[in-house]
Amino acid sequence: MSTETATCTVCGQALDAQGSCPRCQSASPTAAAPAAASDAHPDQVGHVWTIRDWRPLLTLGLVIALGFSFTRLVVNSYDEQQDKLAKQYYAAGTRAMESQQPEQAVEAFEGALVYSHDNFDYQLKLTDALLASGAAGEAVAQLHSFLDQRPTDAQVKLKLARLEARRHHVDEALRYYLEAIEGDWPEHTDPFPQRINVRFESAEYLIEQGRHVQAQGALQALTAVLPVSWPEQEKLGDLFLRNGEAAKALKVYQVVLDQYPENQAALLGAAKASLASSGYSGARRYLLAMTPPTDEARSLLAQLDRLEALDPFAPNAGQAARVQRTLAAFQIASRRMAACGATIEAASPKVQERWRALQRWAGQLAPVMNERKLRGRDDLIESIMRFAFQAEMAAEKDCGPASNASVDDEALLLLARERMGAVQ
Amino acid sequence: MKPLSESSRERLMRLMATPVRRKYFESLRRMLGPAGLISIGEEQFFLVLAIAIGILAGFCVVLFRVAIHTMRIWLLGSSLHPSAPRVLLVPALVGLLIGVLAVRFFPRVRGSGVVHTKGALYIYDGHIADSTVAAKFVLSALSIGSGQSLGPEDPALQIGAGLASAIGRRLKLSRERLRLVVPVGAAAGLAAAFNAPITAVLFVIEEVIGRWSGGVLGAVVLSAISSVVAERWFMGSEPLFRVPKYHLDNAAELVAYALVGVLGGAASVLFIKLTTKLRSGLRQQPQWSQALQPALAGLVIGFFAIWYPQIMGAGYEWTDLAMHNRFPWEVLGILAGLKLVATALSFASGTPGGLFAPVLFMGAMLGGMVGMIEQQLVPSFSVPVGAYALVGMGALFAGILRAPMTSVFMVLEVSGNYAIVLPVVLCNSISYAISRGFQKVPLLDLLARQDGLDLPSLEEEQEQPELCVEDAMHAAVARPLLGNEPIAAARDFAAGSSEENFLVSLGEGRWSVLRRETLFADEAEAAAPVRSLVRARVPRLYQDQSLDVALRFLKDRPMLPVVDRGDLDRLIGVIGVEEILRTYRRAGLAEPEMAEVS
Repeated sequence: MSTETATCTVCGQALDAQGSCPRCQSASPTAAAPAAASDAHPDQVGHVWTIRDWRPLLTLGLVIALGFSFTRLVVNSYDEQQDKLAKQYYAAGTRAMESQQPEQAVEAFEGALVYSHDNFDYQLKLTDALLASGAAGEAVAQLHSFLDQRPTDAQVKLKLARLEARRHHVDEALRYYLEAIEGDWPEHTDPFPQRINVRFESAEYLIEQGRHVQAQGALQALTAVLPVSWPEQEKLGDLFLRNGEAAKALKVYQVVLDQYPENQAALLGAAKASLASSGYSGARRYLLAMTPPTDEARSLLAQLDRLEALDPFAPNAGQAARVQRTLAAFQIASRRMAACGATIEAASPKVQERWRALQRWAGQLAPVMNERKLRGRDDLIESIMRFAFQAEMAAEKDCGPASNASVDDEALLLLARERMGAVQ
Repeated sequence: MKPLSESSRERLMRLMATPVRRKYFESLRRMLGPAGLISIGEEQFFLVLAIAIGILAGFCVVLFRVAIHTMRIWLLGSSLHPSAPRVLLVPALVGLLIGVLAVRFFPRVRGSGVVHTKGALYIYDGHIADSTVAAKFVLSALSIGSGQSLGPEDPALQIGAGLASAIGRRLKLSRERLRLVVPVGAAAGLAAAFNAPITAVLFVIEEVIGRWSGGVLGAVVLSAISSVVAERWFMGSEPLFRVPKYHLDNAAELVAYALVGVLGGAASVLFIKLTTKLRSGLRQQPQWSQALQPALAGLVIGFFAIWYPQIMGAGYEWTDLAMHNRFPWEVLGILAGLKLVATALSFASGTPGGLFAPVLFMGAMLGGMVGMIEQQLVPSFSVPVGAYALVGMGALFAGILRAPMTSVFMVLEVSGNYAIVLPVVLCNSISYAISRGFQKVPLLDLLARQDGLDLPSLEEEQEQPELCVEDAMHAAVARPLLGNEPIAAARDFAAGSSEENFLVSLGEGRWSVLRRETLFADEAEAAAPVRSLVRARVPRLYQDQSLDVALRFLKDRPMLPVVDRGDLDRLIGVIGVEEILRTYRRAGLAEPEMAEVS
């Protein structure tokens, strides 16, 4: 647009070539009189607002101040009412959750959120209720929307991790566990114990999923951060044990026992760890230190006795005892194989082939199975024990755990796990 | 102002004795106006006023929202699922009260607040009665609170406009300013109700003002922002919806979005036709029955709400839940359909309340439905349902309210996520095109015509061909005279031409017109330059300027130069009144009244 199309600052009319306003009839728009505006303010001479014209404006300011105060009053009362209603619905939701009525809880928490939509606790409770009512998809959507609002919130991440774990999304779950550990916890709580708990939960989840290497790392990290005086050390030892790291588990239990020598759980854990790492004497010592011994401790002691009675390689076993124990092991393994027969018939061809090989091996060993032939034949003893170990391990793999069989099988299996490397 | 007394003058002179003090007093004097008091121009005053209107409109909208929620709790109870007797009876009984009050005492609260505000701007010189504003506040709060399927934004817009009109009248603003203050208030009301200032500004420009007007834009923006600040002061800065994060991972998802656009367009056409037909039919009924219409609408809505209470009221809480996978797709589809019928009924019956919120509700449900079906059919697309719901909102907004710019910015402002812009533009364009294809006149224009008003519309204006200077100008018959050319030479040139008027190029883009008799006047010295004969300059024009502008500049001038924008001294053509009128006649458009433009 050309420069001549400029408009009058007074009335908005286009200026003419001389730069004057045709409506205001003057070359200087700001000093012009409003000829056409018949209803203009009488004081509005030249459209310049002086302090005299500000009186209504000052009145307007006063109205704004009054309006603010009135609105403040109304909104305060409204907020109180909303808050009260929100609390009522929240309490109803909590009651419904306690009485195992998740659908009612969902409705109540939704009601609470209508009156207090940015209340994070209510939102989390709603997610719990949704999960409890089986609406996992909705709960995930809800949690994701929280994440948009609070991208580093540890509580949301933890809930997401649990949810994904339930939905068997292992990698997602692990990612959220990790983010929960590193995330922000509520200001009024101490984040350290919360993070420790999440570490435990994630390590446990890793063990359950059979991700032993990752679990090893997670447990190692826990060892580094968990204070030695904390009772959670026992739990750490248990997890090490469950992850197949008996030596590390034993170390952890020993740390506990150094401080609390009569800690029953630690003694039992240490016994189990010793047993798993073939420290029978150590295991026996821990079990005997338990006063009074629990049922589990008694059962372990019996197993230990049987295990020692079955082990032909025990340092204190003489020549005759070694032979007897080898013969006994062969019989236990043969019984176990026979018991598995029906299951194996329905198994895959590969499994059946393995079992046929074991049966052929048993058949080859059968002719030498008497005390006379075995005496002085350490090579045969080793061969028979290798067969017994492999038979027990195959049986555990193909027809179920040894605990379903007998104490002897369980003892032999323990022995197998310990000795397989040496025998092979 | 009284002149200064002698003693005061002496005191002032003493005070100004040093240069520093003199400088200080000089600047103070400049600050004081001709009346000797602090003064500002009306333009600045208008901007200050816009802020004040924005703040007050923000307060009003806060109170309006509180009133709606309080009414809702009083009338329907605090539960999201009110009891069946309440759901059935409350909308009908309150509807009866509203109907009687609206028909007997406050007829102007019925219908669209946007149309009324536009009418105030273009017909009533910015006048909106105070009683209308108060009644709109109370009756809208009652109707929305009692569960009629309407929203608070449209009334908030009218309340804001009415407030601005009331303030303008009390401040005795000029007629021009009083008109302009109405959209300023409207923007403030809508911005506070929507918690979205950009959307409000664009909507007011697209739908209330109906044209892009630079003069009022600054004030509209200021009022919208100040109202949102006031509203957030009390209600917090929380957005209307908690929108999930969105990324367009796969371009194939756009197919599903296009489907949302198609559905949105179809639903828009259906809604416009149903609402306008129903409204037209109901308005033809006897006067006594008009008071009963809101009650009947309330009864029908209450009946459906026994099973689907979500269709009652503005429905923002349900829209939010739909964005978070809280309903199966079948329910979303049913809710969209029922809301369409319920809103058409509520609005057509003359119940006060707006269409914005129901439109967003329908859009969210339709979009969410498509999103959920897509998730089931193509699970590899990991798009949240909320994204579809959001895009659906934009589609319905574009299709029903026919404000394409606003619809896009509304979604962006509500979501705060610019990654969604591509699906939104695609979906809104499809919906808008379908709506325009099957329904020529926009809903708000139809409503205005049903009310007997013919108001300007941006959409219709866009369809009219704009005539430009290049359509009417002709090449200059004679070359322009030059300002520094001797008069004698110019006379020689003019003697060989039959033209009565000659353009004079004065250099640096300045032009003038010289009459033949002036050039040949006896008193003019032959050796003097042509410039000495020039008394006044004339405006120059460009080829792309509209003929309306050209006509305004022409006034009683015989011709004006059309020059090159890149070289202001290069003459491209000449234009006169005759050519302009001829061009208007040729285009079949009404000739502008000369009296109007002069």
